[in-house]
Parts: sequence; structure tokens; C-alpha cells
Amino acid sequence: MIEVKDIYKSFAGKEVLKNVSAVFEQGKTNLIIGQSGSGKTVLLKCIVGLHEVDSGEIWFNNNILFNKLSFKEKKEMRKQIGMLFQGSALFDFANVEDNVRFPLEMFSDMSREEQDERINFCLKRVNIINANKLFPSELSGGMQKRVAIARAIAFSPKYLFCDEPNSGLDPRTSILIDNLIKEITEEYKITTIINTHDMNSVMEIGDKVVFIHEGEKWWEGSKDNILHADNKELNDFVFASKMAKTLKGYVEKSS
Amino acid sequence: MTKVFTKPDKPRLFFKHMMREMFKLGFTSIPIVAIISLFIGAVIALQMALNFDSPLLPKIYIGLATREVLLLEFSSTVIALILAGKVGSNIASEIGSMRITEQIDAMEIMGLNSANYLILPKVVALVIFNPFLTALSSILGIIGGGLLVDITQVIRIVDYINGIQFVFNEFYVFYGIIKMAVFSIIITTIPAFYGYYASGGSLGVGQSSTRSIVASSVFILVFDLILTQLLLQ
Repeated sequence: MIEVKDIYKSFAGKEVLKNVSAVFEQGKTNLIIGQSGSGKTVLLKCIVGLHEVDSGEIWFNNNILFNKLSFKEKKEMRKQIGMLFQGSALFDFANVEDNVRFPLEMFSDMSREEQDERINFCLKRVNIINANKLFPSELSGGMQKRVAIARAIAFSPKYLFCDEPNSGLDPRTSILIDNLIKEITEEYKITTIINTHDMNSVMEIGDKVVFIHEGEKWWEGSKDNILHADNKELNDFVFASKMAKTLKGYVEKSS
Repeated sequence: MTKVFTKPDKPRLFFKHMMREMFKLGFTSIPIVAIISLFIGAVIALQMALNFDSPLLPKIYIGLATREVLLLEFSSTVIALILAGKVGSNIASEIGSMRITEQIDAMEIMGLNSANYLILPKVVALVIFNPFLTALSSILGIIGGGLLVDITQVIRIVDYINGIQFVFNEFYVFYGIIKMAVFSIIITTIPAFYGYYASGGSLGVGQSSTRSIVASSVFILVFDLILTQLLLQ
């Protein structure tokens, strides 16, 4: 479980996050949603420690105040964290196999055989077969995301963070990636936080949803009650597309 | 700086990366250094021959002057300026691209000291390898001058060879090597700094690459002055 309390963050005097508090539950896919520029990526990067917060607390598992840890303690803690970046962030200098090997080689004492076994397990888990020797530039967007997931889970993390995992992917591949993340979350009982503005993802895997608007938390709930939420900004976001407006009509008729 | 110059997490991997960087940044610079040194050596010899026209000046001074120019300035300072362009732009754009595509963030998330992992192997590799390029440049420059003299017969080749050997000060060789070792730190750290803090997409990477070359060139010239004052006084 991860809990953020009263988070404030500003860049060059401009407040990007204002008094954000939320709880992200273990074994569930927790989604942070909001418009582009609402501050959701900054919130995610604050939680993982890529940005220092101006004030507030970030608790991991109720007993670790992550943003107050020393560099050394944070380094240890990071071994429990996996992250999937928006552009996959696979290392250009390494092939698929070596990308997944990277955290194992750097932070474990595994033998080469043990590493190979773990790499093959992780790649198989994300359905990447016969691509071990390919370089990131030779992979499709969907494959890059899956390799990035394999790298993120290589070290068996307790916490998984995904920054817009389906950006640039077609709807079908997006659903595959979403479901893969959900399966992994439930299988390994990890705390997953996904940052997205894709409503398909929300309806597909949103166990818990936090809506951020102009740097503030405006709503918190699940995919089941998001369509009936009494919040103008959230409704404007959820029903922004013509298709969503049509579906809303069906929902209202049926209820 | 302190993040870069710390003990690597895995010394075995550090050594592997250092060897890779030595090949990528150092070994692949041999052709450009060789071509430039041969031609500039020939040009220096020719200019010395044309300018030392007085019958009062012994012809061996042409070889002597060519050698001194190569050893004292060309093979260290000018080659370092060339490498600042070739190697510096490579380092700044490589690290800058990694920054804007979040590869550096991915390393940090894993708990890796990314500055140490990415920059230190390059610094150590070039501090070790570039002095060899200086020595190679001096040798090839002298050969270039010799070839020019032999082909054009502007002076007798025997006079050129005698001049090369005349009042030879071994310290000048070490002076060039020491200078190049210092310049190698500049050539690697400044572009790495600009790349590491690059922002603003591919345009930002291009800008960081250009700025890094300008900055490292200025630093090389300033340190050339300081080192000359310190080592040759």
C-alpha cells in the first residue's frame, strides 16, 4: 500500500501539485487520471522519488516514509520498485535480453545461468518469444512496452508504477497491455499505480481511480461509480468524446 | 561531480564498460588523428622549409622546428580540440538522448547512480587511451613531414632526419602526454555534464552538444596556457 499525504510541488514558482492526498491499495490497479498538464505525471514522479516534493509525506506500506529516506536507504528501497515509462525507456545500447538482465546484473549476485532463467521467465510472462537478441529500435511499440514490463518485474518488485502505458498504441494492443499489468498486479500482489488519460483503461482495469484536476485531487472512487459521479470536472473529462456521450445516454436510459 | 567520481557498484562491469568506451571513443579516433597528423606534419615541414630560407640557418632546423611544433602543441592541444568535436559531440548527444527518452530516469528508479555508471567509464577510458593518440600523432606528423621532404626534395631527407634528432628533450614527450591526460578529463566531463542536464527534446540535445563543444574548446585553451606555464617554466 502507498499513501500520499498533503503533497505540494512547484516548478519555478508555479504550483503543479496542491495538497494532494490519496491511498493506493495493494494487489489492485490504482489509476491516476486527468487531462494532459493536470499534474498526474509529476505526482507519479514524486511518489517514485524522481522529483522531490516541496512538502507532504509519501508512505510505503504504512511504515516507510519514502521521501525522508537517506540516499542509501532509498537505493535499497528502489530494488522493490519497478517502473514502466511512457516511451518504454528501454536502453538503446542493449538488446531485449540485456535490457531485462540489467537490474539483475547490477543488483543481484545471480549466476549467469540463473539470470538467463529469470530473463526467459519474465519475457515468457509478457509473451515475448524469439526476440531476445533484437534491439529496441527493431521492436514495435507494443513489444517495447512488454519488454519494459518484463524489465520492471525482473527483480520481483512490490510496487509497480506505469506512466501512460498505452500512449501511442492502438486500442487492441492497449487492452492487451492493460490486462497484462492487471494480471501481474493480482498474481504477485503488488501495489500498482498507473497514470493515464485513457478512459478505456479506466473501464478495463480501474480498481481504484484518483482524478487530478489542475494539480488538485477532485475525486476518488472505482470504475463502477465513475460514470455516476457528481463532479462536473470529472464528467467533462469522462464524457469528453462523442462515443462516451452516446454510452452515457445508454447508461442513463438503462438506469 | 561527486556522483560521478565514486566507487562503481560493480567493478567487473565497470571494467567491461571502460574497455567498450575505450574502443568506441578512443580506438575509432585513430583514423582521423592519423590522417590529420600526416597532413599537418607535411604542411608544417613545408612551411618551415619555405620560411627558413636564409643561407645562415642550417637546414636541420627545419626538422627540429617541425618536431617541436608537433610535440609541444599540435599532438596534444590541436588533437584535443579535434577530439572535443568528435568525442564530445558523441558523448553529449548519447547522454542527452538517454536523458530525454527517460533512460536515465529508468536507471535512477532501479537505484543506480546513473552519472557514475554512464560517465566514469568514459573519463577513465579516454584518460588512459588519449595519450597514446598523442604519441601516435607525433610519430605520424614527423613521418608526414619526412614524406613531404622526400617527395618534394625541398631539403635533403638526411638534413630533416638529423634535425628531428637534434637536441631532443625527452620531457617534451611527457609534457604532451600530461597535457592530453588533463584535456581528456575536459573532453569527457563537460559534454557529459551538458548531456546529463539536457532538456527540451531533440532540439535540446543538439543545443547541449553544440554548447559542450564550445565550452570544452575554451577550457582546453585555458588549461593549455596554465599547464604550459606550470610545466615548462
